[in-house]
Amino acid sequence: MSHSIHIKNAFLKFRIYRNRAPALKEVVIGKLTRKSNTDTVTEFDALKNINLSVKAGERLGIIGLNGAGKSTLLKMIVGIYPPHQGKVVVQGKITPLIELGTGFDYELSGRENIYLNGALLGRSYQQMRRWEDEIIAFSELEEFIDLPIKYYSSGMHGKLAFSIGTIMEPEILLVDEIFATGDRHFVHKATQRMLHLFTNSRIAVLVSHNLEQIEQLCNRVIILHKGEIVSDGQPAQTINHYVNEVACLLKKQTEPAAAPQLVS
Amino acid sequence: MRVAQPESTLTHPASLSSLEQAVQSESTGQPAWDGDQLECSQGSESAFAYMLRSVAELKNIKFALASFVVNNLRRRYRRSVLGFAWSLLNPLMTMAVMTAVFSLLWHSNPKTFGVYIFTGLLPWTFITDAITTGSQSIVQSEAFLKKVYIPKSFFPLVAVSTETANFVFSLASLVLLACVVGVPIYWTILLTPLAVALLFLFTFSISLLLSIATVYFRDLTHIIKVGLSTMFYLVPIVYRLDMVPADYRKYFLLNPLYYFIDLFRQLICNGVVPDLVHWAIPAAVAIAAFALAFYTLVRTDKDLIYRL
Repeated sequence: MSHSIHIKNAFLKFRIYRNRAPALKEVVIGKLTRKSNTDTVTEFDALKNINLSVKAGERLGIIGLNGAGKSTLLKMIVGIYPPHQGKVVVQGKITPLIELGTGFDYELSGRENIYLNGALLGRSYQQMRRWEDEIIAFSELEEFIDLPIKYYSSGMHGKLAFSIGTIMEPEILLVDEIFATGDRHFVHKATQRMLHLFTNSRIAVLVSHNLEQIEQLCNRVIILHKGEIVSDGQPAQTINHYVNEVACLLKKQTEPAAAPQLVS
Repeated sequence: MRVAQPESTLTHPASLSSLEQAVQSESTGQPAWDGDQLECSQGSESAFAYMLRSVAELKNIKFALASFVVNNLRRRYRRSVLGFAWSLLNPLMTMAVMTAVFSLLWHSNPKTFGVYIFTGLLPWTFITDAITTGSQSIVQSEAFLKKVYIPKSFFPLVAVSTETANFVFSLASLVLLACVVGVPIYWTILLTPLAVALLFLFTFSISLLLSIATVYFRDLTHIIKVGLSTMFYLVPIVYRLDMVPADYRKYFLLNPLYYFIDLFRQLICNGVVPDLVHWAIPAAVAIAAFALAFYTLVRTDKDLIYRL
């Protein structure tokens, strides 16, 4: 089976509720008094007409300004956000490293959380049992592993999350700005592992603001701007384009706005 | 596990070949729940196909389901001195109070009426707890649902399964207690797992339905609470159906909850195997509720995440 990601004409909208989530009370009262519902909902196009095919062997970097839709695109590939229009077809097993440590239960011990977190990532009990020792060894938390993780420092927390998330070599790797936390020694070790995963996966997609990292690791780069793919091609050219064209837009937008704030 | 590897080689952190083999066995031996032919297109899937896919997805994360349930139970009892005993003591004390009050009120024999109350009160407590926690489960799991791909029915299933485990423990303990006290126990008690299964299907379906509705109308939580406490008096739990004036009895028989509780009562309290009709009514209600819940889920599945 060849691994691939195909996205065709995908649109994705977010609804933003100004005040709060709708209440049944208001709907009923609105119906009874025949008052039309005051519209406090605004729609926001997070992704517009996305067409993207990623084949096995490709290392795709996604760059763009904050709020351009990079994380949303990753979450659409994972299946968390289904597109409102269009199609997303993924062949292969996805390992998302989007937010590490999802589902950590602070009352439970580190060891119990290894199983819980692994389960949420779709691993079986047997797999987690086999990897348990390796995860603990990598996280360097041997002494504390049977302690409830609410007593962990945020660094320890991050180490454990990273060790669980990166234990298995993925078929399709999706990474959203993963920075290993902890001491220098661990960061170095974690970076090595990340590189290993990146080069050994069939497909890798990396969202990052670190342009050097993207240029080093990826063989294809797309630029997302306001929910649209505005550029797609070789890393060096695309990044150059991004620095010259897109990042400038941000500067122009923020400069006049920032000046009056300084005065007041 | 599928791969025949001596344990010792697998525990070496640096043994890369074993890791690769593990990955291979993973990709061939087990269908992947989070990606293999993941397809999100607009409205192309039938309700039945959707249900089959959901069941397959849930099956693939059954370990996650089990860990959530076990952790929920563990957390519930870990920090208390009496631990698990609370699940027994709590209904026991409620039951004692209710028995005292209502046997005085109705001039009944406390011993037989006590058994009558507990066979009604335990399933009722289960229904209330399961629906209350289950109906909030999707809203409360917003953080999960936005970070990992997981079927929406997972969290109501976890909530109801946790309560079911609790229910079975307290039921078993109280039956044991009844033996000790000298209340007669009938062989028909062996059929209670069937009744538990039907009640499980019913409460899961209702919880799923209400958990979806709660996403759209957040104030439903309060309405559910009031509704459940009203229902408590509309189902014969602390009184017997024959105490109700004959003219009104037919309205009580329209309540589907009555039939579920009646099953437990017949099997444990009266030692009677209910006739086919008394099995068929709750079974039909449970299946209808299940179908309705899944139909609602199919219709709302693609929209739900945007409403959280």
